[in-house]
Amino acid sequence: MEEQAAQLTQAIDSILAGAGSLLPELLLAIFFLLLVTLDLFKSKTVKRLLPWVAMTGLFSVLVLLVLGPQGIDGVQFLNLLRSDGIARYTGILFSLTGIFTILLSLQNPKIEKRKQGEGRGEYYALILMLVLGLNLMSKSVNLLMVFLAIEVVSIASYILTLSLKEEKRAVEAGLKYVLYGTLSAGVMLYGMSFFYGLTGSLDYTLVSFWRSLLDASPLMVTVAAILVFAGFLFKISAAPFHFWTPDVYQGAPMPIVALFSTGPKMAGIIVIMRFVAAFADPTIVSAFADVQLFLGIAALATLAVGNFTALWQRSPRRLMAFSSVSHAGFLLMALLAFGSDYTVSILFYMTVLLFMNFGIFLFLQMAEEDWQVRTLEDFQGLGPRVPFAGIMALLFLLSLTGLPPLAGFMGKLLVFSNVWEAYTAYGQPMLLVLLVVGILLTGVALFYYIKIPYHLFLKRNQTAENLVISLSNKLLLVFFALPLLVLFFKPDLLLHWIEKLLA
Amino acid sequence: MNYTLSSLIFLPLLAALIVLLLPTRMQRGIKAVALGGTLLQLAVAVWLYLGFDGAAVANGQTGYQFVEKLDWIGFSLGSLGRFQIEYFVGVDGVSISMVLLTGIVGVIGAISSWNIVKNVKGYFLLYLLLMTSVMGCFLALDFFLFYLFFEFMLLPMYFLIGIWGGPKREYAALKFFIYTLIGSLFILVVMIGLYTSVIDPEATAQQMGLIGQNVPASLDMVRQVQQMLQQGAISEADMVRTFSIPAMMEPANFIPGSLLHVFSGVSLFDLPIRFVAFLLVLAGFLIKVPSVPVHTWLPDAHVEAPTPISVLLAAILLKVGGYGLIRIAYPVFPDAGAYFSTFVGGLGVLSIIYGALCALAMNDLKKLIAYSSVSHMGFVLLGLASLTNEGVNGAIYMMFSHGLISAMLFLVVGVIYDRAHDRMILNFRGLAKRMPAYTAFVVIAFFASLGLPGFSGFIAELLVLLGSFSAPEATGMLPRWMAIVAVIGLLLSAAYYLWALQRMFFGKYWIFPELRQKAIISDLTKREYLMLVPLAILAFVFGIFPHLLLDKTGMTVTGFTELVLRNGQQQLNILQTILTK
Repeated sequence: MEEQAAQLTQAIDSILAGAGSLLPELLLAIFFLLLVTLDLFKSKTVKRLLPWVAMTGLFSVLVLLVLGPQGIDGVQFLNLLRSDGIARYTGILFSLTGIFTILLSLQNPKIEKRKQGEGRGEYYALILMLVLGLNLMSKSVNLLMVFLAIEVVSIASYILTLSLKEEKRAVEAGLKYVLYGTLSAGVMLYGMSFFYGLTGSLDYTLVSFWRSLLDASPLMVTVAAILVFAGFLFKISAAPFHFWTPDVYQGAPMPIVALFSTGPKMAGIIVIMRFVAAFADPTIVSAFADVQLFLGIAALATLAVGNFTALWQRSPRRLMAFSSVSHAGFLLMALLAFGSDYTVSILFYMTVLLFMNFGIFLFLQMAEEDWQVRTLEDFQGLGPRVPFAGIMALLFLLSLTGLPPLAGFMGKLLVFSNVWEAYTAYGQPMLLVLLVVGILLTGVALFYYIKIPYHLFLKRNQTAENLVISLSNKLLLVFFALPLLVLFFKPDLLLHWIEKLLA
Repeated sequence: MNYTLSSLIFLPLLAALIVLLLPTRMQRGIKAVALGGTLLQLAVAVWLYLGFDGAAVANGQTGYQFVEKLDWIGFSLGSLGRFQIEYFVGVDGVSISMVLLTGIVGVIGAISSWNIVKNVKGYFLLYLLLMTSVMGCFLALDFFLFYLFFEFMLLPMYFLIGIWGGPKREYAALKFFIYTLIGSLFILVVMIGLYTSVIDPEATAQQMGLIGQNVPASLDMVRQVQQMLQQGAISEADMVRTFSIPAMMEPANFIPGSLLHVFSGVSLFDLPIRFVAFLLVLAGFLIKVPSVPVHTWLPDAHVEAPTPISVLLAAILLKVGGYGLIRIAYPVFPDAGAYFSTFVGGLGVLSIIYGALCALAMNDLKKLIAYSSVSHMGFVLLGLASLTNEGVNGAIYMMFSHGLISAMLFLVVGVIYDRAHDRMILNFRGLAKRMPAYTAFVVIAFFASLGLPGFSGFIAELLVLLGSFSAPEATGMLPRWMAIVAVIGLLLSAAYYLWALQRMFFGKYWIFPELRQKAIISDLTKREYLMLVPLAILAFVFGIFPHLLLDKTGMTVTGFTELVLRNGQQQLNILQTILTK
């Protein structure tokens, strides 16, 4: 009894000591509660203020993370969470994701109209909840914590998918997402229980965790690993667990789609990154060379499925769904380099991905809501009528393809050179295959990304009067496009900063 | 520092900015600004050509003139050391000819664009962007910078063909884009491999503290760093990796243990990895050249493109392919260049013959000329593969001369297309009766292209054939039958040109009845004279005074062939001993 009490005080002390590093999450939670409470008021003014309250929350977290003091670096909360430079930088990215999602939502007439009344608070509150979950995902270093964080994100995602529930598509998408999502969560939990049974621990940062896996039956370890990775890969929509992606992208409101294509994907990648970081330990890396192969195959499959399926899509939303699958494959490939030196490139790539995805989804939202575009053919001849937005879309798409002079090219270049270096270091032929396939698939990617500018500018249309684009939309487009140009010509600005955060 | 080269690159960009600011309805103003921009670019190019000292020693980094070198992007990646991208431009004998050509053709293209009516502002914006990227491509000495301009060329071209082109323009534009993008992706793979393998000795010395920051390294210092590198005496964190092409040309700058190092001993598909890398770069540039069998995008692109864009495409964009081979593929991988010379020469001969045979079979005059381009670009490959001074000089001369003559040829096609909205050879007969001046220029262009003595094409073909004939003795490259077969190509080119001339221009005047209503068959306008006369004069001048160009290229080419042969042979021996072990 005495002993237990001592243990308890020790635990409480450790939790309190770590609380400082959890300030961003606490802030998000407070603002979440604030939004839910404010939503109870019937007043129109309060309702109108809700998104701005959410924005204030996210913005204060952003300021805290960018300008705030370097938090306590290390493992906290009984080895459940780890706050380090990676968590901090991704925290910044997630706050930006949240802010961008709200900005897009404010430009979306459907959400704005529908959300004047009921459910307005819950929509913005859930975005905060999702960002909170993302932050936790990027900090978790314990399988149980990983599971909990992923579930927070997932549950918020299910409801957000359904936030326009009078649309038939949204209901279908939401249902599919819930079914697939819970199944994959169950599978992942099952795999984690295997790990627990084999090692007696869920803390994968312990060397003893991996040691006991080395002693266990290889078959069991393989099964457990496959089950756990199924959950991870589901979250980042990597093949063969990507089937939910196109349906959800087609049904969910556009800002939420943009959110899905960035936030959870980045967080999922960080989870995998932390999990495989153990392999950098030289005593273990040899035994787990197969993991490199396994993940390599997953990355290859994801790249291939994403890029080749995108070729056949006729709806811009489904096209972007497969584009996001292919980018997941790309991030997976970047992970395979297995070393801390490569983190900078991955984080850089994520930053670029954030801006180009939100940019193109804003354009697609404008196209869908204002110009009634449903299929790629509907873009025909629109270019000359919306020259400014068309050129911006061209920039986003070329950056997604990875062509100079846009930051997408820089991101790809960094990742490719890491993979080349890793191949020189490890000699794993899988890496070379990935490198070559990854580069050549850029050619395929051009083929589908160029479809939108192709219809916009090359196809002709009789009507020629210009369409009016609101100033706020124009400014937002510029806001998303500018970093893409800046980060191509001066990537070192950001790289130095990331490096400083990670140091 | 001297900013001549930067002004050359960015003048069209500046003009593009002015065009962007002008209101859309000021069409004449936009055209005038575009023409002014290209004229200024030409003026600077001519000034550069006159100021370029052809006699200066062209060897290593000292061979480049008007060099500008600025830090652009630099970052360190943990234990991987520093990465460095520079704004590094300069000219040598190879680029000076291409720069002059670009200047000339840019102006001609701008004049030829005068009768564009659809979306004038957009057209000239893209045109000027294209001129910037082409010029940048010819001047860049940093691989990254080169790649940036190389890729950026695709985009304006895609829209120029796709929006202002003929009936099947969308298909042709897409095909052009995909083909050349795939090519540049091959190059990208190698670019990544190279910059992770090569260090900049000067910057590394600065990083190690051997010399102060911003202090230029002496030659001894460079040698010392290179020696330390090869002995493994430099830590990874001190190595400054670079994209600089001159640095890549020196085998001593390759990091031991990196895949592309001569001693790496890594092979892929039973070939040393350096050979694979060379083949990738080769493939990338061959698509651009274009060489058979990756030429199929060219006829489509040419036929669909509007006349000025065809002119640019044939006269300067194709040259980027040959230029890339001379600038990057051969000097960086001299071993593979020497090893695959028969293969490259063979592709050249194949292009010469196959292109000529296709040209013979064409009914569309523009397609005929497109295929004649394929045939003539074959000579570039053949001359280059010979690795003799004559051959390589000939290859460069061919690029220059083909630039002038193909511009003329496509303009000539444009003339008849503007009048009849048709360019089928069989739909016309006896045009000489109605259009005597036009016919005169057609005859000049055709004869210049088929290599009549007195025109620049003759000098080029002569040099290439001399080079490839003497190659078996002089350099040990190329079997002798290649030169002989190439001569048949000359014969064929005479055949398709003369046959087309006879069918379209001589005999009794007749045009296809359906064309008669729309066609207004009149002789050349003043604007057309303005374009055709200078080109004809230039083709003639460079045919009579070849030293105008050879004086500039000569030393560079000597340096180039020496470097490729010497390093190539040494490294080939190393590779062979490693692989046979």
